[in-house]
Amino acid sequence: MVVFALVFLGLSNAPLSSAETYNLGLSLAITGPTSDAGNPYSKGVEDYMKFVNETKVLGDAKINCPIKDDQYQTANTKRNFEEFLDNEIVLFLSYATGANQALAKDYTEEEIPVIPASFDKSLISEGTGSKFIFLSIPSYSHQFVGLGEYVAKHHKGGGTPKVALFVHPSAFGRAPVKDFESAVAAGLKLEVVEVVEHGKDLDNSALLQRLQNKGVQYVISQTVQSPVATLIKDAHRLGVTAKSFGESGKLTFLGAHYTGGADLIALAGQAAEGFYWTTGYRLTSDEGPWVKWQLDFAKKYGRDEKTANSHNYANGIMAAQVAVEAIRRVKESGKEVSRDSLVAVLNNMNGDKAFETLTTVGPVSYSETDRMGVDFLQLYVVKEGVFKSVDEPFQPEFLK
Amino acid sequence: MSANRWLATGNFFTSYREEQRIFFTSLDRLCFCLLLLAVFIWPQFITPSNKIMLVIDNILIAIVAVYGLNLVTGFAGLISIGHAAFMGVGAYTLASFATVLGDSHVLLTHAWPLMIVLSGIMGAVFGAFVGLPALRLKHLYLAIATLSFQMIFEWVINFFVFFNQGQMISVGRVFWLTGKIGRKDHYFFWYYVILVIVVILGFAVRNLLRTKYGRCLIAVRDNDRAADAMGMHPGLTKVFAFALAGFFAGVAGALHCYLFRGAGFESFTLHHSITYLAMAIVGGLGTLPGCLFGPAAIYTLELQVEHLSEWTGTFMPDSMNLATALRPLAFGLTIVLFLMFEPRGIANWWRICRSYFKLWPFRY
Repeated sequence: MVVFALVFLGLSNAPLSSAETYNLGLSLAITGPTSDAGNPYSKGVEDYMKFVNETKVLGDAKINCPIKDDQYQTANTKRNFEEFLDNEIVLFLSYATGANQALAKDYTEEEIPVIPASFDKSLISEGTGSKFIFLSIPSYSHQFVGLGEYVAKHHKGGGTPKVALFVHPSAFGRAPVKDFESAVAAGLKLEVVEVVEHGKDLDNSALLQRLQNKGVQYVISQTVQSPVATLIKDAHRLGVTAKSFGESGKLTFLGAHYTGGADLIALAGQAAEGFYWTTGYRLTSDEGPWVKWQLDFAKKYGRDEKTANSHNYANGIMAAQVAVEAIRRVKESGKEVSRDSLVAVLNNMNGDKAFETLTTVGPVSYSETDRMGVDFLQLYVVKEGVFKSVDEPFQPEFLK
Repeated sequence: MSANRWLATGNFFTSYREEQRIFFTSLDRLCFCLLLLAVFIWPQFITPSNKIMLVIDNILIAIVAVYGLNLVTGFAGLISIGHAAFMGVGAYTLASFATVLGDSHVLLTHAWPLMIVLSGIMGAVFGAFVGLPALRLKHLYLAIATLSFQMIFEWVINFFVFFNQGQMISVGRVFWLTGKIGRKDHYFFWYYVILVIVVILGFAVRNLLRTKYGRCLIAVRDNDRAADAMGMHPGLTKVFAFALAGFFAGVAGALHCYLFRGAGFESFTLHHSITYLAMAIVGGLGTLPGCLFGPAAIYTLELQVEHLSEWTGTFMPDSMNLATALRPLAFGLTIVLFLMFEPRGIANWWRICRSYFKLWPFRY
């Protein structure tokens, strides 16, 4: 009984809510696996919510958005979600693919809008996902197929370009492989030579040798930064990295959202040169009005340089921006801010009502049939130690 | 035994039969009945949040799992580092039915008590199979065999398409006499179901230890050659212990699957096996009360460390990443401190506490 009492004491620190306070909740990996992405993401959300309350974006109304660490564990995410529900949240900001898949039915039963950090297509698909989940940017599948299309278009030399897919050994990594293979079957001129589910290898020499022997020229990754850093460092050491895109007899490396960013460059150093990466976010290493905005914003809240330049910081800001914008629009319409009204507003956020944000390469638009926010992707490449944009934002043609 | 069972200040047995009593004094029995009554009726008076109910349900499931682990490690003296995998067998038994028949098939939603028992049986089958090396192996070598099972389990679940490659396989909501158990009642319903199972299995363990089979476990643990010389079969006893542990773990896995409405790979990893082992050690290996104290203590510790991590994160610089270090540090430190200073676990504190009140108000 004493222990039960202790449990109660430990859990009884829930914040109070008031009529003019809108409760949201964010559960993500601040510690444990993938916390390198989760940490700046949480700071983006935290800072933007502070900004909203300080600058009265919602008038006198305040946002209360507690952030809970789930250590990338579904059980903890569920616990945090239940705690947030007890606090009567109107919108949930979530994180991992697996946890969102596990909670999708709960979201549907609770009819609560959810903006995850994951961009897995299954989360918005019928059967496996929930119609209450709203992705921020194009899914991993779109990113993967988009990279494939870029390879097909820009491949030098004759024949069908041979690619290998380097993926995380989890739902997160495997999700886009099927869509990629479907795109190839539908006419995308690529040959998928091998799908590699990486382990925790410290040396990829044998893998790289094998891929080269099979004639692979492009390696497209869907994983996190550290395995990619190991792979490209080994390729650099062996001298098999292409000096220019598609250089014959060498390997050109490409990756989806969570493979890249400043952290990859920090991990891989010189070996990151020539790495192609796609995401729906703007980068501070590029040029544009968002650079000053993001850096000033981070400075205002005392963030260090690493956080300020992180695309995951921008990712967190953007998720918070969408949530706050939805609340603002509901308030503006004179309706009560509730789960239902937020879902309705999010589903109407399209056409001339699409939401422009500096942090992404296109406007955020949702509808009942399209719950992927930003429809465009931007390709970046590492040049002289920083990611620089390549061409204009694009949409994959083989996956709509 | 003392003539007055209410005021007994010591246990003075005059027959072997008396020694085998479940409750040594009437006061013990009364306290137990009051405690049981309290844990059954408190949700009717206090309305805890879903989060608290989820935490308590998790603790109760861990108690079921630790019953099994304590049988094999505490009572039979066989180290098992694959207990979470046995739980996974139970959970994935349900998940397999959901994959083949559909997640809302009547077997899963209406015949759930049967499915829980079936999951336990599957756990027992796997437990017995994994226990076979115990016929030839001992100590660390046996521990490695159980570790191998953990590894094989993780690999199979993570790579087989049938098991959705470790992604969540959903199980539908169950039905009770009152109809479908919805979200509102989900955690309360499972609280009572798991509590009943905890009580039944607790009595089962207590009674097992009063039988020759239970005494065999302890005899083999203390000296398997002596046990052999006295006519027991050490090998079969060890396999029996693993099968029992597998059964308990299978039941716990099925309960976990129903509580979380599905089975996912990440709830049954090596980390979880180590955590269950820690629960058994902290609670008190080879004691029944230890099975109750260990899970409650570890879960409470985790929650408090989580709060501490969040608090430190508000003022510590990011580069120190203290929050990441705090959890494994607290976890490891707790186990080491218990092993050093209280190897008999919290159950020993409970024993000392009871002894004090047995004599109270006298000191000796």
